[in-house]
Amino acid sequence: MQLNHAQRELTLKIVYYGPGLSGKTTNLRHLHAKASPEVRGRLLTVETHDDRTLFFDLLPVFFSTSSGFKVKVKLFTVPGQVIHNATRRIVLQGADAVVFIADSRRGATADNNAYWRNLQENMKENNLDPSQVPVVIQFNKKDLPDARTDAEIEESRRRGGEAVVGAVALRGEGVLETFHAVAQAAYRRLDTRAHLARNLGLTEAEFLGQIFRRMDLTGTALATMYGRAAGEARSGDGR
Amino acid sequence: MNGASGSGASDGVGASRRESVLQRRLSLADMLDLPSFVEVVRSFSELYRVGIKVMDTAGDKLADVKVGHGDFCSYVFGFPEGRSRCTATVARVKDGPVALVQGARPASGDGAEAAGIIALPCFTGLRYLVMPVRWEGDELGRVILGPFTPEELADLPPSLTDISGVDLSRAHELVARVRRVPERTAAQVLVHFGQVLAALVASGQRAFLATQLHIEAMLETHRELEANNARLAQANTRLKELDRLKSTFLGTVSHELRTPLASIIGYSEMLAEGLAGALNPEQLLYVRTIVEKGESLLNLISSILDLSQIEAGRLRLVMGPVDLGSVIQTAVSSVAPQAQRKGVELEVCLPPLPQPRLAADADKLRQVVVNLLANAVKFTSSGGRVSVVMSEATAQNELAAPGYRVSVEDTGMGIREDQFENIFQSFYQVDGSSTREHGGAGLGLAIVKSLVEGHGGRVSVESEFGRGSRFTVVLPLQPPLSEHGGFSALAPTPSPSGHDRF
Ligand SMILES: Nc1nc2c(ncn2[C@@H]2O[C@H](COP(=O)(O)OP(=O)(O)OP(=O)(O)O)[C@@H](O)[C@H]2O)c(=O)[nH]1
Ligand SMILES: [Mg+2]
Repeated sequence: MQLNHAQRELTLKIVYYGPGLSGKTTNLRHLHAKASPEVRGRLLTVETHDDRTLFFDLLPVFFSTSSGFKVKVKLFTVPGQVIHNATRRIVLQGADAVVFIADSRRGATADNNAYWRNLQENMKENNLDPSQVPVVIQFNKKDLPDARTDAEIEESRRRGGEAVVGAVALRGEGVLETFHAVAQAAYRRLDTRAHLARNLGLTEAEFLGQIFRRMDLTGTALATMYGRAAGEARSGDGR
Repeated sequence: MNGASGSGASDGVGASRRESVLQRRLSLADMLDLPSFVEVVRSFSELYRVGIKVMDTAGDKLADVKVGHGDFCSYVFGFPEGRSRCTATVARVKDGPVALVQGARPASGDGAEAAGIIALPCFTGLRYLVMPVRWEGDELGRVILGPFTPEELADLPPSLTDISGVDLSRAHELVARVRRVPERTAAQVLVHFGQVLAALVASGQRAFLATQLHIEAMLETHRELEANNARLAQANTRLKELDRLKSTFLGTVSHELRTPLASIIGYSEMLAEGLAGALNPEQLLYVRTIVEKGESLLNLISSILDLSQIEAGRLRLVMGPVDLGSVIQTAVSSVAPQAQRKGVELEVCLPPLPQPRLAADADKLRQVVVNLLANAVKFTSSGGRVSVVMSEATAQNELAAPGYRVSVEDTGMGIREDQFENIFQSFYQVDGSSTREHGGAGLGLAIVKSLVEGHGGRVSVESEFGRGSRFTVVLPLQPPLSEHGGFSALAPTPSPSGHDRF
């Protein structure tokens, strides 16, 4: 988090981490498509010709609070290929919250575990305390054969303290829910540390509302929570 | 980033590492390739015949193209009052807020409001349009279009004509060179320019971040490699030191054991020979057993000492001309009693003619042959045969040099092929049970290998399980510049940290 009182700006960083091809970039693409242009910038991707992330993807989401603070949430993805560990570590620098995109297939378990450990190591390398940085786990690619069942995912949720969301990012399922969970977790952590509500007048409801009322939430459970403006967002999105 | 203040305790990054460019707020200049950007601005200005300035929030000019208004403005600037009014106008345009305050009004034209364009009048009747450069919710600078003559301007205003000394016909003549255009058209040009600028910033940002991250990743990888190298070097040093300590320790201990043991054997032999009075048959049997077991213990300790000296790199070969044939004969005679006791036939086959001497350490070579022969006798049962064959000095394939080949062959129990590699390792026994049956600590062959390799030679084994074995030693006539077999240690693999989550 970077908090600049003089310029009344707050910048948050959320990093999408996980094994190669688990669907990190797909998550960001979907968020970009569902967010109204007034709250998001361009999706910056640096990819190889075969669509593997080379350095990172970046999707900025931003709004101004009722108290006149400018808030920017920067969503990054790391490159998942093994050789890019140094880049993963750099992108992870200063993360306020992490989404771990796991591949739901049982055959991917070893890979998920390896990257989970890699995440812990790189957090430590960056002086981030793994017990302090909230992590949301997304079980992606639930549509594929050999994917874990809902019961197995539930079982995995119980084994750790992280929020867990099932997803088929390719069809957009679970992507907004994951983002909602991580945004909420990031807010709560920062509110604990920097008292956003007290010092900035930025409540959790406003923080989430400013973002999610400007997202097209059609077909998700979030639609009822931020329902009023979901339609607005849709009609306001020209592209 | 200017004046940014990090907050909270854990925002810092690793002390040895720089903050990544991803953590910084980029300026407009970071994200634009300035030379090509200036060219774009110039061609835009020339196309629409109106000046364009681009400035960042710090007030630095990134591009500044003047078209048409230069002469008129200089003329007005030449009068003291004109100068002060001009300065005030320019200050408002360049440094004032891009907002509807301090004389600004919204510019007319499609999209002008959405783009945040304001119109600012000049006291001469000319006009400026100013557009903020917004990027992802931040304001990074401004674009100033103008001054231009608004289409709707009928005549020069009093604020200009009032200025004493201004020649109206001259002013008219010069103002005619300034582009005359409706404000909405000018605003559209500016909106369009804003779109081009956004595209340039997007690709510029991408290129800038990719380049910077490429460099950062390289530095990070380099740092990582250096740290790894340092760790490995440290581990290597420690292992070498441990290895040396182990060998020194073994050497010392062997010494300390051998001295008293030699006394035990000596005194026992004296007892057996009756020097302290006659022994009855039972006492004699016991004392001889003490001597026998003492000798085998002494042999074992000697082997350990040899090996530890080899491993500590302290074994020095005393090189001299050696007649290999007589070395073999001496070795044979020293194992002959053992063979005889066991009922194993010993056979020696040397070249018929005297052979050239080789450069070697005679004592160590004898030890090699003795070890091989003793081993062969040990694993051959009564009625079997052990033979040693020495070749003439000829070219040896293994060495790519001339040398001798000595084979020791037995009709013993043999060795399984999957054990061929292992038997030359220290303390290795073909199988646990043979230790008890045949004695020895499994050091003989390890010593043979070290000594032979110390001479620049090779030792190998062939065997048919159950039928017998043949050990072959190949020795060069002249050893290569002396060096002993190296002993390598493997660094322990780091234990993986963390737990499985999935
Ligand atoms: N079947 C299925 N395929 C998916 C899903 N999500 C992503 N994919 C596919 O998986 C592939 C990899 O997705 P990406 O989003 O590029 O993966 P990534 O994690 O960014 O990969 P790296 O950039 O290499 O780390 C693409 O072909 C996606 O279309 C999903 O839910 N189901
Ligand atoms: Mg990717």
